[in-house]
Amino acid sequence: MNFKKISIAILILGSIAAIVAYNIYNKPHVNVSEVSVDIAITAVKIFNDFTADENAANHTYLEKITEVTGVISNIKIEKEKGIVALQTNDDFGNVLAHLSVDATKEISALKEGQTITLKGICTGYLMDVILVKCEIIN
Amino acid sequence: MKTIITIICYFLFLTASISQERYLTKSGTINFYSKSQIEDITADNNQVLSIVDATSGKMAISILIKSFMFKKALMQEHFNENYLESDRFPKATFQGNILNFDTLKDTAIKLKVKGVLTIHDISKEKTIEANFTRTKEAILVEGNFMVILEEFNVEIPAVVAKNIAKQIKVTFNFNHTPYKK
Repeated sequence: MNFKKISIAILILGSIAAIVAYNIYNKPHVNVSEVSVDIAITAVKIFNDFTADENAANHTYLEKITEVTGVISNIKIEKEKGIVALQTNDDFGNVLAHLSVDATKEISALKEGQTITLKGICTGYLMDVILVKCEIIN
Repeated sequence: MKTIITIICYFLFLTASISQERYLTKSGTINFYSKSQIEDITADNNQVLSIVDATSGKMAISILIKSFMFKKALMQEHFNENYLESDRFPKATFQGNILNFDTLKDTAIKLKVKGVLTIHDISKEKTIEANFTRTKEAILVEGNFMVILEEFNVEIPAVVAKNIAKQIKVTFNFNHTPYKK
C-alpha cells in the first residue's frame, strides 16, 4: 500500500516537473503587438542618444519594447520583409525598422515623407539604430 | 566599441575623399547552425552591416548579437545572456582585406578574405573563403566557415554540452550596392 502511494506521488511530481520543464523549453517569443511599451521616443532622439554615448544608449534601449515616431525617408522590401527607414538629423544614419511579417502586408499603405509610429525591439546601433519585429502603430 | 565606430567612419569618410567606390549593405544575412546528437539549433540575423571598398579591397562587417533570431525564445535568451553575453559585448565584427580583389570581374569567383574576427570581445586572425560576384550594380559575397566556440571563450555549461556543437557553422550572404548619400 505504502509503496503504491509513494509511486503515485512520485509519478505526479514527475509529471508536474516534466510539464514545467516542457513549458519553459517552449516559452514563446515576446509578442510585440501585445506587450506594453517600455520607451516611447522620436527617431531623432534615439539616434542622437546612440551617437552621443553608445554604451549608455545600449544600456537604456537594448531589448526594450520601443515605440519610435519619425518621418519615413525610405521604404523597401528585402527577402519578403519590409524595412522602413526613419529620418534623423544625421546625413548617414537612420532608424531602421525591420517590420514583422504581418506589418509587411500593410507596407503598401506607407509613403515616404509621412510621419509614422512603430513599435519594435531595439537590438542596437551600427550605422543606424536597428529595431526588429516592428508593428505599425499609427 | 569606439574603435569599431572609428573603423566604420574611416571606411565611410576617409575613403570618400579618394574614391566613390564603396559598396554597402545594411541588411546582410548571417545564419548559424549547430548540429548535435540531441538537437539542431539555428538562428538568423538579417541586419548585418557590411562594407566593401572597391578601390582598396578592404572589407568591414559589423553584427549585432541581439539581432540573432532563434526559433525558441529560451535558446535566444541563453545565447544572449549566458554564452555571448550580449549586454557586455553587443557586437561581433570582422575587418579584413580581400586577397586578389583586382581579379574580381563579372563572373563568380572564389576569393580569400584575410582579417580579424572579433566575437565575445576576443579577436582572432582568420582567413575566410567566399564566393564573389561583381555586377554593374552590386558586389555579392556569400560563403560559410566554422567558428570554434572555445577559441572565443564561449563557455557552454556541462548540462547542455551535448545539445550544442563545439563548432558552429556560420553562413553569410551580403548583397552590397553602391553607397550613395
